[in-house]
Amino acid sequence: MIQLFDLSKKFGPNVALNDIRLRIRKGEFVFVTGPSGAGKTTLLRLIFGAEKPASGYILINAINLNRISRPKLDLLRRKIGFVFQDFKLLPRKTVFENVAIALEVIGLRPKFVRKKTHQTLRLVGLAEKEKSYPLSLSGGEQQRVAIARAIVKDPLILLADEPTGNLDPQLTMEIMELFRSIHRKGTTVVVATHSQELLQATDCRIIVLNQGTISEDTP
Amino acid sequence: MRSYFIRQALMNIRKNLSVHILSLGTIVASLLILGAFLLLFGNLNNWLQRWGTALSMSIYLKDGISEYRRDNVYSFIRGLPGAEIKRFISKEEALKDLRAALGDDAAFLNRLGRNPLPASYEVVFESKGTHRVDPEKIKEELEKLDGVEEVQYSNEWLNKFEGFLNVVRLIGFIIGGLLCLCVVFIVTNTIKLTIYSRKDEIEILKLVGATDWFVKTPFLLEGMIQGISGGILAVLTLFLGYLLLPTKGISLLGLTPLDLVFLPAGYLILIFILGAVLGVIGSFIAIGRFFAV
Repeated sequence: MIQLFDLSKKFGPNVALNDIRLRIRKGEFVFVTGPSGAGKTTLLRLIFGAEKPASGYILINAINLNRISRPKLDLLRRKIGFVFQDFKLLPRKTVFENVAIALEVIGLRPKFVRKKTHQTLRLVGLAEKEKSYPLSLSGGEQQRVAIARAIVKDPLILLADEPTGNLDPQLTMEIMELFRSIHRKGTTVVVATHSQELLQATDCRIIVLNQGTISEDTP
Repeated sequence: MRSYFIRQALMNIRKNLSVHILSLGTIVASLLILGAFLLLFGNLNNWLQRWGTALSMSIYLKDGISEYRRDNVYSFIRGLPGAEIKRFISKEEALKDLRAALGDDAAFLNRLGRNPLPASYEVVFESKGTHRVDPEKIKEELEKLDGVEEVQYSNEWLNKFEGFLNVVRLIGFIIGGLLCLCVVFIVTNTIKLTIYSRKDEIEILKLVGATDWFVKTPFLLEGMIQGISGGILAVLTLFLGYLLLPTKGISLLGLTPLDLVFLPAGYLILIFILGAVLGVIGSFIAIGRFFAV
């Protein structure tokens, strides 16, 4: 499903990732962890095609991201859900519109878009807030909107960058249960986190990044 | 998806209303000037055609012509197709007209022993349908009549007027072209401002898998809406101006008074389409440099 070959990424003189080799199988649930600046976010952004590697290459479902055209990358992104650390919500759109946009860009029927968006907002516990604007929500609520937008399209791959960073322990457990239920449906899930509680409570594969290299890969 | 694009385009306009109003005002002004020019030019062209097909002729009579022969000449003129006798000028009236035209220099006329000016008929010929007036043939026929001294006609000045209209047409094309460029420039900058104000939103749309066209289409619609609205407002303003200004019986160069007619439907549609096309071109230029995410 996701294969990284000798992958390196630099930002100016700084090496963010160095010679990463990694294979994540279809339907796997993987945590990526490590200290701040270890390269967790960069790794997810490279898999998403939001960054270009300095060297090496990435295969997603056997598609080489180095050679993919812009329109095909757009289509590929429709199959990948991404929960951004800074949420990346549209401030001028309501909660409902922020989630629905992920389905609207695919060109699905408005009736289906409405139904699926309502369902997903109920799933993340935000049905009551669908008419609110992101800036009127708490950090935790904004994070759940971001999660709803990532999962509403039933992605083949879900990439989540610190998805529980702003949530209390109770909500963290609920969101992780949500990820697990998506995973049970066959979605490959990759979660970047530095939450020790989450890592201690899981029996999933954990990849530890340190200064841009994989220091540990616990199956 | 179509409804999404329209909603998005209208929302863009609403969110940047002041910029759009300013831009719309300039588009209206540009298209209004263009429309006013089309109105004026179209009417001048029509008038020229009507005057061009109308031939005026002066038929000078011999001195001392009998009333019987004058009636014969009169009846002959009346029988010519399309002929309309505008005026009979007697010898006395001709002298009076000349005296008025000369003003202070008319004193020498008092020293003349007799009135040397002939009486005349002023006749205008209108072309009807496919029939065209042949001035040379009419002149020959009239000069054969007893009592007719000479026949004169001239439409030389109309050829000069046509030349003048060609210059006006050229100037019109240049001004029209510059105004179109102006509209494109304004729309481009307005859409650029909208794109800039939605930069973050566009980035997020691309991140959730929106194609370039999904992002671009609302901006193209926005430009088109601006252009069409500009066209409609310009035509309405022009029509209002047409209603308020005197448009009946306009007399030019002492010729037959004519009415100013409003632009035909084809021209109105042309202004709408021009507005829309210029709006879309402006948007296209603005979104040309689209940022890759």
